[in-house]
Amino acid sequence: MRVRQQIIPYLFLLPALILLIVFNLLPTIATVVESTFVISLRSGERVFAGFANYNRIFNDPVFWKSLQVTVVFSLIVNPLQIALALGLSMLINQKLPGIGIFRSIYLLPVAVSLNVTAIVWRLMLDQNTGMINGILFNLGIERQPFLHSVDLALWSIIMIASWIGVPLWSLFILAGLQNIPPPVLEAAKIDGANAWQSFTRITLPLLRRVLAFVLVADTVANFLLFAPILLTTQGGPQLSTNLILYETYRRGFVYGDLGASAAMLSVMLVIVFIIVGLELYVLRGQD
Amino acid sequence: MSDAINSTTARASSAKRHGKPLRATFTSGIVYTLLIIGVLIVVIPLMWAMAASFTPNHKVFEYAYPFTWRALLPVDFTMEAYDNLFARGFGRAIANTFFLAIATVIIGGAVNALAGFAFGRFEFRGKNVLFLTIIMLSFLVPVDLTAIPRYILVNSFGWINTWQGLLIPGLANSLVIFLFRQFFADIPQELIDAARVDGATWLRVLISIILPISKPVLVAAGLLMFISQWNSFFWPLLVAPRQELRVVQVEISLAVGQYGTIWNELLAGSMIAAVVPILLVIPFQRYYVEAITGTGLE
Repeated sequence: MRVRQQIIPYLFLLPALILLIVFNLLPTIATVVESTFVISLRSGERVFAGFANYNRIFNDPVFWKSLQVTVVFSLIVNPLQIALALGLSMLINQKLPGIGIFRSIYLLPVAVSLNVTAIVWRLMLDQNTGMINGILFNLGIERQPFLHSVDLALWSIIMIASWIGVPLWSLFILAGLQNIPPPVLEAAKIDGANAWQSFTRITLPLLRRVLAFVLVADTVANFLLFAPILLTTQGGPQLSTNLILYETYRRGFVYGDLGASAAMLSVMLVIVFIIVGLELYVLRGQD
Repeated sequence: MSDAINSTTARASSAKRHGKPLRATFTSGIVYTLLIIGVLIVVIPLMWAMAASFTPNHKVFEYAYPFTWRALLPVDFTMEAYDNLFARGFGRAIANTFFLAIATVIIGGAVNALAGFAFGRFEFRGKNVLFLTIIMLSFLVPVDLTAIPRYILVNSFGWINTWQGLLIPGLANSLVIFLFRQFFADIPQELIDAARVDGATWLRVLISIILPISKPVLVAAGLLMFISQWNSFFWPLLVAPRQELRVVQVEISLAVGQYGTIWNELLAGSMIAAVVPILLVIPFQRYYVEAITGTGLE
């Protein structure tokens, strides 16, 4: 009986563990291994190449440009989404008549896929006939090439990603807000704190954990943004929206250069681990 | 600027002296205004896309540029786009996606529930190590990041353009294992002990004692698996580009390139892709929100 009980949890775990090891952990390791191989042009075989792939990508201006675009994109999109999500979550946390309907409506983008969002916005942002330009026309403003100009394309991607991102992350912050016991805020009010003071001195510090989680999860999600690029700008114009995951896809699947693609993915893995490591460090300091 | 602030403060405090209602009305007026602006940003694209999908193709942009409110309603109603889309075989993609999502919920649900049960209810050697390494690591490394090496691996199994390739790599889901573990850990021990004394096996305990009282976590996990499979795109795009196996998200995305100017069909496909998860999320929103926010707050 006791012996059987020793085996049983392992049996229950077995299917999940095998699947996770084979399809999640092994590919992670394989990414790093693959990055040290190249396909020989002469024989068509995979041959070990050490750091050759890394040498290639580190000497490739397209890779650096893509990394630069990704960093600029991240520095804009993450603070923007989190600030708006914080604002939205405070709005839908108000106890007002009809607030449940608003919460349901704000849930719609969360259920819709990024592909659908990108397709609809691609048509809405169309330079000649899109609705956004239609509204600008009504306001007497001339047509804007939202997806076709170096100045605007990245901002359009930021907007598309935020249409889902802001409502999504606001759900997490809302859950955090609802965990703050009402007496804490009432006590502050009695002590004479105004709304701004109780927001900065009580609400924000109590949201620190949630905000730290959202910051990391949002950063990782936006770091891996792919579908909107494929479906709207395809990295253009002039690589101005060529985010890093799209570049690895282009290398691997459009040009068939899996070695370079794997080397870029390995660099991305390191970046993701640094981001996640920072999260664990920040969260640990608070318990 | 500071005058404006002072006068606002003065007004607010005088409102306070006269009693709360005025100030409260003022604040909730601002809240409603901001909420409605946000709602317009959320709803207008969806309303336009829905209306345009029921519009003849040459009229899709008619009321969008210049913009009139008629752009948001199917004033020139036609089913043309949907008819053509289904004539082109879109029904196949819908059936594929439903099949894949339901199979994921059933098989993946069993796999993840068993793992969650083991982590939530048993003490065994290596438990923490297994949890921290395999579950946490696969939770932290995003699946899209390792999709290309996963593709190489699945290719070596000969699973490209097969159902196995679409289904099996996504079955085990660390987020869903988390959800099950948390829920199962909170079930009172007496319930389980009673059944064990009666000689029930652990599998029987799980099926006839635990699952019947686990509706909330089953709904939450089921929704999460169904919707993430329904909306998944990168992996099906890589692993099963063959037409007979295409899922909805891949089909509409390829249509952007192939039939890029048949706007109403593109939007009709997108609306079908959007409506299914929306219809599932709205009635079960409490479960869904708990499912997606649950792990972030632990």
